[in-house]
Amino acid sequence: MRHFIEELEDLQGRLLEMGTLVESAIHNSVRALTERSETLAQQVLGNEDRINHLEIEIDELSVRLLALQQPMAKDLRFLTAAIKINTDLERMGDLAVNIVERAIALMGRPAVKPLIDIPQMARTAESMVRKSLDAFVKREPELARSVLLSDDTVDRLRDSIHSELISFMQEDPESIPQALDLILVARHLERIADHATNIAEDTLFLVKGVDVRHHLEPNY
Amino acid sequence: MALRHFSLELEELNEMLLRMGSLVESSIRRSVQSLVNRDKEMAKAVMRDEPTINQMQVEVDARATRVLALNQPVARDLRFLTATLKINTDLERMGDLAVNIAERAVALINRPPVKPLEDIPRMAALVQDMVLKSLEAFVKVNAELADSICPADIEVDALRDKVYSELVEYMQRDPVSVPAAVDLIFVARNLERIADHATNIAEDVIFLAKGVDYRRAVGPARGV
Repeated sequence: MRHFIEELEDLQGRLLEMGTLVESAIHNSVRALTERSETLAQQVLGNEDRINHLEIEIDELSVRLLALQQPMAKDLRFLTAAIKINTDLERMGDLAVNIVERAIALMGRPAVKPLIDIPQMARTAESMVRKSLDAFVKREPELARSVLLSDDTVDRLRDSIHSELISFMQEDPESIPQALDLILVARHLERIADHATNIAEDTLFLVKGVDVRHHLEPNY
Repeated sequence: MALRHFSLELEELNEMLLRMGSLVESSIRRSVQSLVNRDKEMAKAVMRDEPTINQMQVEVDARATRVLALNQPVARDLRFLTATLKINTDLERMGDLAVNIAERAVALINRPPVKPLEDIPRMAALVQDMVLKSLEAFVKVNAELADSICPADIEVDALRDKVYSELVEYMQRDPVSVPAAVDLIFVARNLERIADHATNIAEDVIFLAKGVDYRRAVGPARGV
């Protein structure tokens, strides 16, 4: 058996590999939507298997390390965080696939309006994902905290997209299927941001040893 | 902290998870009831219970991690603890989804009713049954029972699609109904997501029951 530290590094490497794949899936899913690109959509769908496979690998590796290495304190927190982050990343990959499904549905229909808020929301969500993973790798609590703050921005954008599209549907009932697809895309992006927030919270737990979920610890 | 008997710790953890499961079940049931009966007080009660569910999630997590650290469990106990961590995440998320349904219910109560609700209560009944069965399967570590919820998941997906297309048609005929119809589409979606989480729990139970040894399963593949 290899040295424990090497195993932990290997685990972190795989999480990062998965993170990179998921980031690119999110990015390409939104581009597939804005550019009406079938090619980009297929690319995201094609990467889904790899992401799912990595999730299983990471899960198995984490549990094996928990079982065989009897980790304590910080290493134990790292492994617990790895298991959680893994779940969040896989879910984000699924959400990117959901966005692509909406993008494909929208390609077959006339465009309802120029997309402005959704790309902006996507940029914020993507940057949260990148920052949360960065904060995790570098163990930077400040960076993790900045992710928590962006979550409100994403929620506000989602609300404004939601009400705008509702009035749009009322004015032009023909546009209802497309507008609903866009409302769902906004919802998927909001969920991606929530998962990035989870990763940031897990990072704070890892670094500080304190559970900050559900704002139980307002000092962080 | 005194190191207590390991099996007692596991039993307590199991009980904590089940208490959380019953509260989540009740939140789901009440959220749908508040929608069907246009009962704002009930919807608010679901929202008020959310912090309790969140607190339970944090406690289960902390306890499971501590048990992992202090007892170095292997084989079945390790699988139980891993399943606990996963099921805990699913239950908390189901609680969130029940709150989302309650929020939509409050929004809907403030508007005139769109249409008699038929498919959504049917979906809700299927989903609640899936949640109950998945938790029962966990308690009994019964893979067969866990497996039995799969057909319901397919039915839930089909109902969600049906609700969706009906409501789209409805909105197109009567644009005034758009906000309410969108709320109902989200309720159907939230129910479908709850069913997905119940399916996750069932899958964890199957893993727990079948007893695949992680170390053996992973060992050879990692020898390269």
